[in-house]
Amino acid sequence: MSEKPLVLTENLEVYFPVRKLFGTAGFVRAVDNVDLEIFRGETLALVGESGSGKTTLGKALIALVKPTGGKIYFDGQDVTSMSETELKTLRRRFGVIFQDPYSSINPGYTVYRAVEEPLVVNKIGSKSERKERVFKALRDVKLDPPELFAYKYPHMLSGGQRQRVAIARALISNPEFIVADEPVTMLDASIRVELLLLLREIQQKYGSTMLYITHDMATAKYFSDRIAVMYAGKLVELGPTRKVLSNPSHPYTKALVEAIPDPDPRNRLVVRKVISGEPPSLVSPPAGCRFHPRCPAFMPGVCDYREPKMYKVNGGVRAACFLYGGMQA
Amino acid sequence: MGEPLLRVSNLQLYYSTLRGLVRSVDLVSFEVGNLETLAIVGESGSGKSSTAHAIIRILPRNVAVLNGSIVFDGVEINKLGEEEFRRRVRVGGISMVFQGAMNSLNPVMRVGDQVAEPLVVNKGMPKPEALKKAVEALRFVGLDESVSRRYPHELSGGMKQRVMIAMSLVLKPRLIILDEPTSALDVITQANIMNLLKRLKTELGFTYIFITHDLGLASELADKVAVMYAGKIVEYGSIEQVYTEPKHPYTRLLIESVPTLRLDREPVFIPGAPPDLIDPPKGCRFHPRCPYAIKGKCDTEEPPMFRDGGQAAACWLLEEGKT
Repeated sequence: MSEKPLVLTENLEVYFPVRKLFGTAGFVRAVDNVDLEIFRGETLALVGESGSGKTTLGKALIALVKPTGGKIYFDGQDVTSMSETELKTLRRRFGVIFQDPYSSINPGYTVYRAVEEPLVVNKIGSKSERKERVFKALRDVKLDPPELFAYKYPHMLSGGQRQRVAIARALISNPEFIVADEPVTMLDASIRVELLLLLREIQQKYGSTMLYITHDMATAKYFSDRIAVMYAGKLVELGPTRKVLSNPSHPYTKALVEAIPDPDPRNRLVVRKVISGEPPSLVSPPAGCRFHPRCPAFMPGVCDYREPKMYKVNGGVRAACFLYGGMQA
Repeated sequence: MGEPLLRVSNLQLYYSTLRGLVRSVDLVSFEVGNLETLAIVGESGSGKSSTAHAIIRILPRNVAVLNGSIVFDGVEINKLGEEEFRRRVRVGGISMVFQGAMNSLNPVMRVGDQVAEPLVVNKGMPKPEALKKAVEALRFVGLDESVSRRYPHELSGGMKQRVMIAMSLVLKPRLIILDEPTSALDVITQANIMNLLKRLKTELGFTYIFITHDLGLASELADKVAVMYAGKIVEYGSIEQVYTEPKHPYTRLLIESVPTLRLDREPVFIPGAPPDLIDPPKGCRFHPRCPYAIKGKCDTEEPPMFRDGGQAAACWLLEEGKT
């Protein structure tokens, strides 16, 4: 891991307008004021509940949605001020794997065509060079021998094999930065780990940087170096994965970790301590800290009044909570 | 315990498709005692939902074979006529909570009316009285009275799942089948629903069949567990036994392949994929993926259930106590 981050965001905002019959009724603040850095060669896990903005943040980082405010720097370049042509060139350095391998691959394309597509679109290589690269990518994702799989259609493959095709397609252009958005959520338990190990192997082989978006804290533990936790469009905690998960700082992270079932029959039927309520509306989020209405450590007059910044906790962990600073300001 | 509440023996459910016969459930037997919770654990396509559908007879049209015996509360329900089945099983017998609560509610009907509907339709209860009961049921699952006047789109996923549970309670069933009741929900919501199910079980004494792909989740609620693989039960026993001392290689690998947050254990995976149920492997259906497969045995002969106390597993390794 080098010192300079490959991806850096400053006050990143992605708002979606809510349209009424005439004009705009407000904004969904999907990503709000996020400062994040991802270092070269690392895997950053981005976790949060559905609707917390993790997918939107991931898409913004690879220029698939336009931020409405703030800055994104990729390899030192300001992505937010780029023209569409510059963005197109830049996107070659990105790879993306989506959640659902049943809808992310064109059913009318053969595996070969699906995997070759990024090279064709970006006019990379001659026909024979492309073939070599497609076969190599298929071998990388263990669809071996490639001749056997290259001319099949998606419906002839299992879910796990389809996701391998999606991975091969994401990797074919040797991307420096890969966004994997819930890549194994739709797959069966017995093959999830296999695919995550495969992703890790490929990432290490090619030294790429990865953002692993997931709601599964347990897989994040084994397959990421650092972890970022989002709640209602905000980053609430960021730090080395094992530190954050074994000793969470933010009350939300704590609640999230505690809610995960213990695979231990001795704790059977024990009623777990769980916070109640639901994540807030992103159109009119609560004032102050967005977690305060559900927070067990809520401090009246502080949390419902001012918004916490990311404060340093220790060991490289930062948390957006007044328990860790900002009380005097 | 005497006679179990539900006894399923040699249940077979095959579907016919253009490609051939899909052997979704193949000679499955188990029992659920009164006040007991049985978890049926398996991956997608293992036949766990099909088993449940066969029990309460909600089957698609392409069923080719439906054999075996299902004895509920002392009555063979597999042979009952439609009307008799409705009166004995669907009304106050067995209720089911489905996985996608989001899609199971009627979007144009107020929640209270939907929860009250089974009482009006099946019990002929006057509507005001049924609505009162519905509000009671909603309150019981932790929802405010005002929810009964709302429409499903105004509720969150967790609230909808609570409505579904309330709906399954109003007829006061003897047995509730929960088909992945928390899979579509976020972790915190999931934990809240699990707490609710635990409370209902301990306070009201419900009998559940809990269908899930997550053994960890199963261990939170279940007394007994049946592990299914490719249409067959491969292991059966108390949750303590199966979870701490799995006898079938599949069960063990399934437990080890789920990454855990609290234990530190490098996750493993099971190579290969579950088989095609149109043409399942000969012998033990798990043998192509099994690290302990015995050549000339596991790939030719189907293993019977070998019993050891209350635990049983269908694996040739257990023959004559080999482990």
